[in-house]
Amino acid sequence: MALLEGQGLSKRFGGVAALDGVNFAVEQGTIVGLIGPNGAGKTTLFNVVAGMFRPDSGRVLFRGEDVTNLPANTICRMGIARTFQVTRPFLKMTCLENVAVAMINSPRSEHGRDWRRAARTYLDYVELGHLASTEARYLNVVQKKRLEIARALATKPELVMLDEVLGGLNTQEIGRAVEFVKRLRDERKLTICWIEHVMGAIMGAAEKVIVLDQGKHLMEGPPDAVVKDQRVIQAYLGD
Amino acid sequence: MRAKGLTVTEKRVLISLFVVSGLLCFLPPGLSVYQQHVLIVSLFYVMMASSWNLVAGYTGQVSFAHAAFAGIGAYTSGILAAKAGINPWVGVVAGAAAAALLGLAVGVLCLKMGGIYLSLTTLGFSEILRIIITNEYEVTRGTMGLQIPGLFAEYSKLSYFYVMLVGALFTLIVVRLLIHSNLGLNFRAVQNDERAASSLGVNVVQVRLLAFTFSSALAGMAGALYGHYLLLITPEIPSLDQQFLVLSMTVIGGMGSFFGPILGAFSLEILSEYIRAYGEYHVLAFGLVALVVARFAPNGLVGLITSRRDKKASPAAAA
Ligand SMILES: Nc1ncnc2c1ncn2[C@@H]1O[C@H](COP(=O)(O)OP(=O)(O)OP(=O)(O)O)[C@@H](O)[C@H]1O
Ligand SMILES: [Mg+2]
Repeated sequence: MALLEGQGLSKRFGGVAALDGVNFAVEQGTIVGLIGPNGAGKTTLFNVVAGMFRPDSGRVLFRGEDVTNLPANTICRMGIARTFQVTRPFLKMTCLENVAVAMINSPRSEHGRDWRRAARTYLDYVELGHLASTEARYLNVVQKKRLEIARALATKPELVMLDEVLGGLNTQEIGRAVEFVKRLRDERKLTICWIEHVMGAIMGAAEKVIVLDQGKHLMEGPPDAVVKDQRVIQAYLGD
Repeated sequence: MRAKGLTVTEKRVLISLFVVSGLLCFLPPGLSVYQQHVLIVSLFYVMMASSWNLVAGYTGQVSFAHAAFAGIGAYTSGILAAKAGINPWVGVVAGAAAAALLGLAVGVLCLKMGGIYLSLTTLGFSEILRIIITNEYEVTRGTMGLQIPGLFAEYSKLSYFYVMLVGALFTLIVVRLLIHSNLGLNFRAVQNDERAASSLGVNVVQVRLLAFTFSSALAGMAGALYGHYLLLITPEIPSLDQQFLVLSMTVIGGMGSFFGPILGAFSLEILSEYIRAYGEYHVLAFGLVALVVARFAPNGLVGLITSRRDKKASPAAAA
């Protein structure tokens, strides 16, 4: 049984079919890449899984349990965390407080009374420790993306959905980030679903890649097979 | 800045509260009866503005029913004392409880929708309450006002001053504790970004509801104490005039800051004593000033005072 499964998910925005009967599965302990051209519906898929949008039809199963219309906070408490492509930090709260919010609402977090120290370790983990007492509005884009990750991890999830977290990084930094994501899986035993346009990153980390195009599940497979696939090349080149 | 200096800030807040209230304790005996009255009314507004700030400033829910909840407190306690002979101190507790319950009910009705719906529903609630109080003449004596017993057998402004001081300190301590509890973190998270908060496990509706209920209870207590000081309660207490005065005090003093409402309450109440001679338009004038402040200095007086210091402390080079 897959950890996360989507069955026939559809979601329309006015005339746009952002998702159109998408089936997918994410196996426990793997890194699954989610790719596709702009507007393919990747972020929408995350939003539907995370309880931010209700799908028009279809089901989301987590550990085999139907979680389709549960509210976002319940989904999070069940063990699915996500980052936002357009970051949404609590601007007028410090980095430490941003992480603390994630911790104190998680039924799995073992911070006890002293969340400050525990929150700090998450910030250190994403190399933001030195900004612990800085309000999030002072962060640059890269730092905000890191804060998104720290918050997501602080909810103690089983599954993390990363939405374009590499924005603003150079090639060398991307290499380090890929190692970071792999460590999340290996050391923290996390399952990861990762949207990224940087092909090299997905190629280096994912066991499986799912390709969306115009709301439809185009194909899936191991990364090297996917990049060679004619349909995928076609989708990216456009027609 | 915030978390790092927390213990220091915490100490500073406590010390300044104690110093100021200590000073206040010794001040009144030397003041005229009129000046004592102004201080008492100011303390009532400290309670009102600080507790309104809890919903408006910390969770971003603009409620127009805060004065109404004060009215619920005042009339509950007042009617219990005047008609059923219940001890006014017990009445104050009952008034706070009644306000909390009604706050919870109003909250359940409209907090799910939030935003403008909350503002509209609370506005409606205020108006309905005013109509009920005005029309239920038998019970409330309508606009004539209901005479109610005081808190003390012998009337003494000084005693009332100390009661209001304790009430204000109690309110401030409750607000302070809430803000620095886990619940307070959730309050601020919800205000900063509801969607992000819910994606991190925060139950947004529940958090708003708790803030609203606490805030209503504190308003109920304030109203009940104030009613027993005035000895005559009228629909003035739950009026929209009153509501906008409290709003102006909070906004001008500084929404979402601990000291803002305190500063706003004292300065506007004292100021309104000076300009009262020019007619009853001062609430309107304050409202206009509040609008300007909200637009150009959203952190109010407190923001203006602290902005210089913050600029220096802010890690502009947050690399
Ligand atoms: N909240 C919304 N309201 C209206 N339309 C939306 C909304 N969210 C997404 N869409 C539309 O749905 C389609 C899919 O958008 P989505 O953000 O899921 O794409 P994406 O694959 O994440 O793209 P990108 O790579 O640019 O992030 C787009 O046409 C987009 O305009
Ligand atoms: Mg996207």
